Amino acid sequence: MTTTLSPEPTATGARPSAVTPADLKRAGARRRERSARVKLWVGGVCTLLVVAPVLLAGVLPLPGPDEQDLAQRRLPPFTDGHLFGTDQLGRDLLSRVLHGGQTSLMIGLLAVVVSGLIGIALGAAAGFFGGWVDAVVSRLLEAQLSLPLLLMLLLVVALFGPSIPVITGVIAIAQWPEVARLTRSLVLVERGKPYVAAATVLGLRRITVLTRHVVPNVLSQATLVVLLLLAQAVLLESALSYLGAGPERPFATWGRIISDGQDYITTSWWLVTLPGLFIVLLVVGVNLLGDGLRDRTRRPRGLLRRILSRRPQEA
Amino acid sequence: MVFPIPHDTTPILEVTDLQVELVTADRVVRAVDGVSFRIGRGETVTIIGESGSGKSTTAMGVLQLLPEDLAVLSGSVKVGGVDLLVDRDAARRIRGRMVSLIPQDPMTALSPVHSVGKQLTGAIRLAGHPRSAARARAVELLEAVRIPRPAEQLDKYPHQLSGGMLQRVLIAIALAGHPVLLVADEPTSALDVTVQAGILDLMLELQERTGIGILMITHDLGVARLVSDRIHVMKDGRFVESGEAEQVVDAPHEEYTKRLLAAVPQLGTFEEVPA
Amino acid sequence: MATYLAKRVGQSVLTLFLTITTVFVLLRLAPGDPAAAYAGPNPTTEDLERIRAQFGLDDSILVQYGTFLKGLVTGDLGTSFSFQAPALDVVLERLPYTITLALSAILVTAVVAIPLGVWMARRADTAKEFGANLLTITGQSMPDFWSGIMLLTVFAVVLPVFPASGFTSWGGLVLPTITIAILQIALISRMVRREMTTNMAAPYLTVARSRGVAERALTWRYAMSNSAIPVLTALGTRFAAMLNGVVVVEVVFAWPGVGSLVVRALETRDYPLIQATVLVTAALTVLVQLLVDLAYPLLDPRVRLAKTSKKTAPAVAAPEGALA
Repeated sequence: MTTTLSPEPTATGARPSAVTPADLKRAGARRRERSARVKLWVGGVCTLLVVAPVLLAGVLPLPGPDEQDLAQRRLPPFTDGHLFGTDQLGRDLLSRVLHGGQTSLMIGLLAVVVSGLIGIALGAAAGFFGGWVDAVVSRLLEAQLSLPLLLMLLLVVALFGPSIPVITGVIAIAQWPEVARLTRSLVLVERGKPYVAAATVLGLRRITVLTRHVVPNVLSQATLVVLLLLAQAVLLESALSYLGAGPERPFATWGRIISDGQDYITTSWWLVTLPGLFIVLLVVGVNLLGDGLRDRTRRPRGLLRRILSRRPQEA
Repeated sequence: MVFPIPHDTTPILEVTDLQVELVTADRVVRAVDGVSFRIGRGETVTIIGESGSGKSTTAMGVLQLLPEDLAVLSGSVKVGGVDLLVDRDAARRIRGRMVSLIPQDPMTALSPVHSVGKQLTGAIRLAGHPRSAARARAVELLEAVRIPRPAEQLDKYPHQLSGGMLQRVLIAIALAGHPVLLVADEPTSALDVTVQAGILDLMLELQERTGIGILMITHDLGVARLVSDRIHVMKDGRFVESGEAEQVVDAPHEEYTKRLLAAVPQLGTFEEVPA
Repeated sequence: MATYLAKRVGQSVLTLFLTITTVFVLLRLAPGDPAAAYAGPNPTTEDLERIRAQFGLDDSILVQYGTFLKGLVTGDLGTSFSFQAPALDVVLERLPYTITLALSAILVTAVVAIPLGVWMARRADTAKEFGANLLTITGQSMPDFWSGIMLLTVFAVVLPVFPASGFTSWGGLVLPTITIAILQIALISRMVRREMTTNMAAPYLTVARSRGVAERALTWRYAMSNSAIPVLTALGTRFAAMLNGVVVVEVVFAWPGVGSLVVRALETRDYPLIQATVLVTAALTVLVQLLVDLAYPLLDPRVRLAKTSKKTAPAVAAPEGALA
């Protein structure tokens, strides 16, 4: 074995590929890609099915949500132009659900924005500065875990009244830890990267490094949880309003509609079932969108990453 | 003790036109593009290349350790005459018994919640030793890889040992099933320079004693030169140059090999390498 | 270990103290007159004043807080306005029901979610797993009050299999348990699946496979024991959280636990009762959380042996691309 084996003389791609269509079909990456796509599509459709009518509630040809008609009480769905039927006061259920949905959605979105801002600010500070800042934030995160959360939220609503800003604030308080924890761990990783040291050596102030360089780099990953938070916010708002701590102006939200309908469940199933399905459809949709987006941005690891990062062939 | 391999003439490992294609979400990447090599008893064959050249994929392909839903293998990989790509169950039978792996990063290669002894005796029992004899055999193997106070180390957990010690433990585990071939996937790249020499030394000594064949994967020319009988230089999934160790290192034919050599800071011998 | 324990217990007590103080202050700031709620319809001014004096409501907040703290030490949490009984007794009477429900829910969760999660991990990325995935997403997307009412209607009203409300027999435990478990199973099984797939792709598992360890042992012995720690911790934390009262589910099923008690106490502004409930449930939660934290080292050798560890810092490897 003293002779040198001459390197393969064939040009790129000359050797036939052994990958069969069946291989392609069962490949993990392809399957994940497919399932992420399905999740995004199904999630998008579910979300739109709820969000579009809710946004258009004022334009759609519906009776007003508070128009009572005692002659038309508890009509089942599909009677007299009432798609979802009517409630115990003869109000159109669909109209109530859609108008209430505007409030629910607005509270959910606002709460996510507020909790996102608080969570990213505190989480980034804790991860970047460490020391006592981290100690304080981490204690707060821990303490919130052992608090009787729902009870405190009910208490605050009882104290300040069930107005939209109060409920939004209360939900944001319940949710900021999740964002903070994620941001903190992302920033911890980011802090170790060379560019941070380089920026510090260049004489940038630490706060500038954090806000101009570190935070923008973790933002895209941190915002991936936004959709999942929105789903939780909608659920939490509906739970609060079910317990009587939800907004009633301008319109009752979903939890309240269900709680009002509960007394008539045996005779008028739709009063509880349909608003509930509406919530489920929205939250499933938003969760699927969040899941699908997260799956899609997950990067290949280890061996595969190194192979994929292979330099382009030199001619 | 590790037993010598019975003499026969077939190569331990014979790889012919091995091709590994990785199916990703949007394309098929040919990580290994038709490589052929063979390893006989007592031989060390090295595949050297840059990160991403396909050398580790080749090693994992030989052991059939690439995820099934990621990699499509073709060509042939014969271990002791059996083609692992034809007989798909064969890989399961030979792993640990005929072919063992020495992994890249010893720090992550052992289960963190099981003691070192538990993982070592597990491998010993898989090799057919009775439970009663396993502990004694474990101590014996740790002695063979030069671990001080072996009986004490058995109850420790991976995080309590240094990288060099862990790599020795992993070599002991690899030897538990009396393999005829060791696949060493960059066995020293995660270790301190001072520790690296000890590990290489140990592997060469074991080879001398038992006649075990070694497939060495490395990006380190120094390592390759020290341990190899033959060297294959890999680039973009292919061997660009193959030959005896001295010949490849001292008188490379290929431009790429020359550039590889030129990129290594030379200590000791000065060689003018034309760029 | 002793100093860690002392520090950890100190933290728990501090958390507890801050919680109860926050509740005390919030209650005093809240609008609404507890005396009016207590006196019933059309009370006279004299009635109200008498009631205020009786419960010490006419003292300043600081004095009330002092009385409250003194009571805390002696175990006297005041008299519930609405029950006319020591608040602590009222809470302790309800507590077993909440503990029973929480225990039953967490057991069902563990028994279903762990095998389900392992199953999903083993069939990762198949059509079946995708189906299971959709189910768990739906499970975590249902408002618990709604799924509770639905279960109640179907299995207690339409098909009277289980009692509709309260705790009249052990059968009454079934529907509230399922309602809580739906959400918890969804969350925990997804976590198990995530942990298992991470561990099944970990280097140590490939190395174990390379030495001939059978697939079954790889899943159950290696991946499972490495996934167990975070999963068990999560189960413990969720159980601890449930002891705060599974408020919504207790209200839906009229379950006589602390959750429904506290909603009623809030409605009637029964200060002593609210304070007693918060104190007792938060104490239990903190205690369980403490036990979970203390059990952690027993499960994870890396934490247990942290002091004896002599692990050298990972050696700086020659960078992979050094040759280029």
